[in-house]
Amino acid sequence: MYLEFGDIVIYFSPYTLSLFLLALVFTVLVIASRPERQLDIAFGADAYTTKDISLPEMRFRRFMAIACGLASMGAMVTGDVFDFCLFTSLVGICNVGIVAAVRSRHVQNAAYQYGLVALAGTVPLFGGAAIVAATTGTLSLIELSKTVLPAAPAVAKGFLVLGVMGEGMAPFYAAKAEMFRAPGAPYVIMCSLSSLLIFLRVIEVVLQM
Amino acid sequence: MTGALYSWGLLVVLGSAVIGFGALAVEKDDLHRLLLIDLVEIASIGIIALIGTDLAEALILPGLVVGIAELLALSQIYLMKEDLQDRPIQIPRIEVLQESPAPLILSMILIVYGIILSGFTGGAVAGLGVIFFIAARACTENFHLLELASGFSWVLWIAAFFVFMFLPGYWYLALMGAAVGILIKVITKMSLMGVMWEARS
Repeated sequence: MYLEFGDIVIYFSPYTLSLFLLALVFTVLVIASRPERQLDIAFGADAYTTKDISLPEMRFRRFMAIACGLASMGAMVTGDVFDFCLFTSLVGICNVGIVAAVRSRHVQNAAYQYGLVALAGTVPLFGGAAIVAATTGTLSLIELSKTVLPAAPAVAKGFLVLGVMGEGMAPFYAAKAEMFRAPGAPYVIMCSLSSLLIFLRVIEVVLQM
Repeated sequence: MTGALYSWGLLVVLGSAVIGFGALAVEKDDLHRLLLIDLVEIASIGIIALIGTDLAEALILPGLVVGIAELLALSQIYLMKEDLQDRPIQIPRIEVLQESPAPLILSMILIVYGIILSGFTGGAVAGLGVIFFIAARACTENFHLLELASGFSWVLWIAAFFVFMFLPGYWYLALMGAAVGILIKVITKMSLMGVMWEARS
């Protein structure tokens, strides 16, 4: 099912709809929930410490998590290869933003390294989209799924997958794992969910082309 | 012949990207890594441009905007993690800028020309005039007013696009709305940069 919005086409299939609903449900959960305190166990004693989150930090993290959820939703249903690349880059920026307000130097270092990898990932991402446009003449996933046009070259598909992997898949997720030391679930969980969703979508995109 | 040139261009750009990634692997300093990443991103813009069709123009701007957004985000994180946020900035005192009427005249010319041009280009020219005036005269402005103007102009720009899509008969109104919206948006964004520069000095 297609939903045309000018020249932007939103594409609903059972697969994309289920991913979209997952992203939507989690975004609603992020809107509705309050942050949890991160617990650190004191080894050798029956004690634990908690990390409090300031109200400005909470608001900013909640906002970035919602933005990340919206970007993930957009990436799930977009019917255009370039829009998918833009939403994926936006997911990367929002992931950095979710932990950017944390006052821990270790987390900020990890966020910075992850941001560098995500920025590097946009190069093959947009390059792949450009190669698809140059070889097939279109960026529409609906047109590309038909057998009338020539198939997109394997290098373009590889670039798209590599770009999405740079947003948080193995082996580039090392810095992302360190970012989870930041206090404030459930906002931090949006980082891993968004990466998983865009990876699932890119598999569908690549198989369609 | 032209097709072969595009192929050579693509080869050069991909080679540049590979060299950039190689430099990135060797570099240890975080700030230099950021600069190298930005350099590599220019290569991605080059790949998009080398499609060589009208579509390339429509693709370059979002690619640039995303790249700039990521660069700004990472720059801010770098400032925070290195604790460089409240470093005072000294603007050099240049007599010809700060005491003569020339900056005011030049700024007015740039602003008027930018308004006549309108659109993104006009916004950039007028914004440059505003930055030049702020840098020369060392005056301060209200952040919130600039941000408010920027926000409303962005809404106007988006609304104009909605009019284009759903009410194509009113295309002229949408065209003028989009031109004015993006003009004010770019002016306020650039002047905000100039004001922030000045406010920290």
